[in-house]
Amino acid sequence: MNRSHATRRQFLAGAATTLGALALGRHAHAAGSVTAAMYPGTWEEAYRAHVLPALKKAHDVDLEMTPLFAVDQIAKASAARGVPPFDAFVLDPGPRVTGIDRGLFEKFDPKRLPNLGKLPAGMADEWGVTVAAQVVGIGYNPKKLPRPKGWTDLLKEPWVSRLGMTGFQTTYGTVSIIEIAKQFGGSETNPEPFFVEIRKVLPKVAAIGAPASMPALFQQGQCDITYTNTQTVATLRGRGVDVEFVKPESGAVAFFTTMHIAKGSRQMENAYKYFDTVITAPVQAALMEPPNNFIPVNRDVKLSKDLPMASLDEMEKFVRHDWAKINPLRAAWIARFNKEVAK
Amino acid sequence: MRLRPAEWQLALPLALAYAAFFLVPLALLILVSAFDDERLTTIGFAQWRSFLGDPFTWKVVFDTVKLGVVTVVATAVIGYPIALVFLGAGPRWQRVILFVVILPLLTSVVVRTFAWIVILGREGVINQAVLWLGLAPAPLNLLQTEPGLVIALTQIEMPLLLLPLLSVMSRMDPNLRDASAGLGASRWRTLLRVTLPLSLPGLVAGCMLVFASSTTAFISQFVIGGNRLVYLPLLIWQQSLVVYNWPLASVAALTLLISVGLGVAAIATLGRRSRAYAV
Repeated sequence: MNRSHATRRQFLAGAATTLGALALGRHAHAAGSVTAAMYPGTWEEAYRAHVLPALKKAHDVDLEMTPLFAVDQIAKASAARGVPPFDAFVLDPGPRVTGIDRGLFEKFDPKRLPNLGKLPAGMADEWGVTVAAQVVGIGYNPKKLPRPKGWTDLLKEPWVSRLGMTGFQTTYGTVSIIEIAKQFGGSETNPEPFFVEIRKVLPKVAAIGAPASMPALFQQGQCDITYTNTQTVATLRGRGVDVEFVKPESGAVAFFTTMHIAKGSRQMENAYKYFDTVITAPVQAALMEPPNNFIPVNRDVKLSKDLPMASLDEMEKFVRHDWAKINPLRAAWIARFNKEVAK
Repeated sequence: MRLRPAEWQLALPLALAYAAFFLVPLALLILVSAFDDERLTTIGFAQWRSFLGDPFTWKVVFDTVKLGVVTVVATAVIGYPIALVFLGAGPRWQRVILFVVILPLLTSVVVRTFAWIVILGREGVINQAVLWLGLAPAPLNLLQTEPGLVIALTQIEMPLLLLPLLSVMSRMDPNLRDASAGLGASRWRTLLRVTLPLSLPGLVAGCMLVFASSTTAFISQFVIGGNRLVYLPLLIWQQSLVVYNWPLASVAALTLLISVGLGVAAIATLGRRSRAYAV
């Protein structure tokens, strides 16, 4: 009996120590560090290879990364209610607007970024700074299909029976569906014509998949054409997949990935240093190289010839969307998409 | 069974962990579901009404439960003969079979699920074999269909059926089957009247695990089933992480919890009834 008591005390003591250490762990950062939420996969790998050493070298700040998709970052920060689980967000435009609405960001002072002048105008505001661009268009396999001209081709033969689609869950999926709808008379706030048109061809569509599975479905030949961004196309090509990016006739879509400081962060100073390091020319140039394939935002970086534009200013002509208008409608679109495509 | 004080005290850490990490979140889930709006300001049952009043919800609930039932039947039909082979094997082969059964658990479910894309895809192993053998003129559509998803889930969930089943089988007294044979029962009769009833607790436990796991297997359902097959976990993910409507996500989660709970209870009842019938 005595022995069991001793064991239990030891156990409880051990458990208490463990819990205590976990509770303290959050504040046990080294003086010079910043915890950044980071998209898993290509982003995390590229940032580990290029941003982490550059930040350490320039400012002696350690970068710790928490792999989270944009939507997960908003969900975690909302649930944490004022005690942010990380110091810096990296977000697409939709979640960015949600973050601003929900008061998840600290006010941002762009003037504190020494490299601000290297960015095109409008790339930083009172909430954060743009660190990468994304260009969305059509990716197709040129060995299996003729080159499509625009969004409407996706719903015609021979393309439609090899089409891979995703719904409104991702930024690129949402803007692509909006662009298809626009060709049939819809608008940024009205995807109805898309639903009308897709219903006519739905049985022919080769795959309607989870966003994360689309590259695998393309690689496996389950679909040979899909809406996607230049980064995914470049990454697939790097793996030896036959795929080419097409800028639709009505224009490719551009959107920006931005970084923000989490409300209540204790590492504001280091977050600014981190953002500034990300937008420096050498880091942006390294992130553009394969296998990372980012679209840079620093004017000093000479754009790779694989990108669908010769200069950053050309992106002004690309199609843009207002996510403050899209966000409130998106829940209904997702529910509608489920009902339309579910067997 | 009366527990001595030392015994319940030992169970206390687990009970506290269970209360902190299951009961409290469950209570929060119920609480959140009782709000009308996404910002959790107005109390009401509007989300319940809109969710349960939508015929599409009921289709999704039905499909989710059906997926669980079909997967349970498929794993049981394929798994039980493996368990019988295990029963008849010597100790060394039993260890080999057990190792092979556990092997898939050593790989992440994400990896196993993506492997099924490679196997079931248009240019996948199965379709290459079908085309090479001339069984079909064009590649079969296996991905994003219910049969394809059931095939994958059957493999993914198989260890959950087999582990409790094999554990019960290995404790079964071999003399009982010898006695049955000695008394003139045929092999089929021995199987139906002796082996099956004795192994029923393991089979029922395995079926419950497979049912609960396959109905909630978000990754496998979404990656293999895609958006064409909509199950409750997909709705929960969309509402909680894409559009941040937590009340509706909670309603969907509770609906899933209740449907899975009812399914598991039904399997348990079925198991009890059939045991009473068999004995």
